[in-house]
Amino acid sequence: MNSPSPSIRVWAERLLAVEAANPSGPVAGPEVVRVCERLRVSLAQFVGADGFTALLRRALALARLEVPSLQSARITPAGRLEGIEEACDTGSDVEAAITITAHFLGLLVTFIGQSLARRLMRKAFPDTSEMTESEDF
Amino acid sequence: MSNEQNQRQDRVKIHQMPTGVPGLDEILGGGIPEYSFNIVAGAPGCGKTTLVHQFVFANASPERPALYFTILGEPAVKMLRYQQQFSFFDASKLESSIRFINLSQFVLEQDLGAVLEEIIKQVEAHGTRIVVVDSFRTILRKAEPGATEMELQGFVQRLALHLTSWQVTSFLVGEYIEAELRDNPVFTVADGLLWLFQSTERNSIVRKMQVMKLRGQESVPGLHTFRITQDGLQTFPRTFGLAQESGHAKGAHRVSIGIPDLDALMGGGIPDGSSLLVAGPSGSGKSIMASQFIGEGLLKGEPGVVAIFEELPAEFSRRAAQFGIDFDTPQKDGTLKVIYIRPLDLSVDETVYAIVGAVKEIDAKRVVIDSMVGFEMALAPDFRHEFRESLYRMIGALTRLGVTVLSTVEVEESFTSMGLSNFAISFLSDDIIRLRYVSINGQLRKMLMVVKMRGSAHSIDMWEYKITEKGLVIGEALRGYRGLTSGIPGPWPIASVDVDNEP
Repeated sequence: MNSPSPSIRVWAERLLAVEAANPSGPVAGPEVVRVCERLRVSLAQFVGADGFTALLRRALALARLEVPSLQSARITPAGRLEGIEEACDTGSDVEAAITITAHFLGLLVTFIGQSLARRLMRKAFPDTSEMTESEDF
Repeated sequence: MSNEQNQRQDRVKIHQMPTGVPGLDEILGGGIPEYSFNIVAGAPGCGKTTLVHQFVFANASPERPALYFTILGEPAVKMLRYQQQFSFFDASKLESSIRFINLSQFVLEQDLGAVLEEIIKQVEAHGTRIVVVDSFRTILRKAEPGATEMELQGFVQRLALHLTSWQVTSFLVGEYIEAELRDNPVFTVADGLLWLFQSTERNSIVRKMQVMKLRGQESVPGLHTFRITQDGLQTFPRTFGLAQESGHAKGAHRVSIGIPDLDALMGGGIPDGSSLLVAGPSGSGKSIMASQFIGEGLLKGEPGVVAIFEELPAEFSRRAAQFGIDFDTPQKDGTLKVIYIRPLDLSVDETVYAIVGAVKEIDAKRVVIDSMVGFEMALAPDFRHEFRESLYRMIGALTRLGVTVLSTVEVEESFTSMGLSNFAISFLSDDIIRLRYVSINGQLRKMLMVVKMRGSAHSIDMWEYKITEKGLVIGEALRGYRGLTSGIPGPWPIASVDVDNEP
């Protein structure tokens, strides 16, 4: 699979920025973990818990090809991202976070199209609706 | 842009992968949807494994690796030994693009969950994009004694979920019978379900396939014939590769049949792009007329295709030569193709595929099918009961190509009635010429009539004709007789010689 398009990367960066601006959320940890958790809670209703886990596993596998420091990261059977400390330690945490998130969004667009993916993102991240409404992926 | 256009543009585009099976992409509506989860089902020996091998060899590459899981069925060694006899088999792809993994031990020793985990592990480890499980039925057999339907469905659903999420296009191969189609969880989960059938009737084997289900795209419904040759499966879509609308206007010009006097009787010749049926008893000159039709086209630079079923191409050419028609040179030049098909287990679709292929190859303008009786005899018995329906599709397909078709049909001569054919196929033809014997003055003479010219005026007389060294030659109108159509005419009373009032 190709790397996510620049516009999908921008989309991922904005989701991460939203989480960074909201540190008091229900889940502790790096922004990427919180983004993944917010996506899990929102998308599991639609794609099922197993469906979300499978997609996130695939996103992580693709991200590892671009960011080697993600080797120790893993997705739990419950669909949670864990073990990204190594990426944080090597200073590649920002790139790692963007890459995983962007690959996940890229997979969503690949499977269900950008229109529907955009609607699901609006539901998970209502505060990014303006961005997802106007941009083309 | 309209709202509808906007919505259409917003929809996800599903990429379609070529199957590598000639004709099958058309049947599927373009190919196999990428990332789809498909079942290939059917009884043993009907070509399931060969079909998926064709797909795998057509699509696998180092960038798009394939995993072929074998389970308890045909061992991989034997499978490879036999499959490499097919022309599509490319040994250089093994290991680099296609890996075979045997899961038999897992299936024998572990539960379904472990089998699923192993498949996922292998898929993830190899960056796999294509997966085949052959035979999937074996996995389910292992589970069947204890597993509930829900457990089976859960297993299949999880497998489909993981494979699709991993952007894998997958095929599960299984031996199923049609009765299992209802309520089977495997079929519920699948995006695509391709069913292969094989039946034996008398001495022939007939193979057909049906797309029972294919999500997201419009496949061609119904049963499609296929054959397995050294090149693997070859399918013959019911649409004959002509799904698109024809751009040819029918009847814009008249096509000479090669007998000027007969052209005149037909109102100037055969309307181009139409189909003419020449019906008559044995020896009445149908094949000669067909040869003259093709010969005339060749003289005018119009390539032709002749499908013959009752004589060999050499005999056909030799007989035409007796009437001054050279078929040898145009065959060498590539402007004439004589197709001789007589395997005795033929389907109409297969024949039309050969004819359409020849028409396209030489850009033919004229086609002869000589004869319908021979054609029917060449069909497998299973296809004969649908001969009429198949002919309807065949004539439609050929005329859609813009070619003018002349078909011959032998009718059993009766001296009490005048049939047009034994197949009730005359309705298929735009135009009909009937040849028959008549008994006049103690002689068995030949008579011709133009029975039908769709949308066009034509002679309503009955004409005597002779077969000479120049071919079929039209003589005089047979007036002054009553009961000509019965073949045993008598003279009209002198006061009422008026053919328009013949009873």
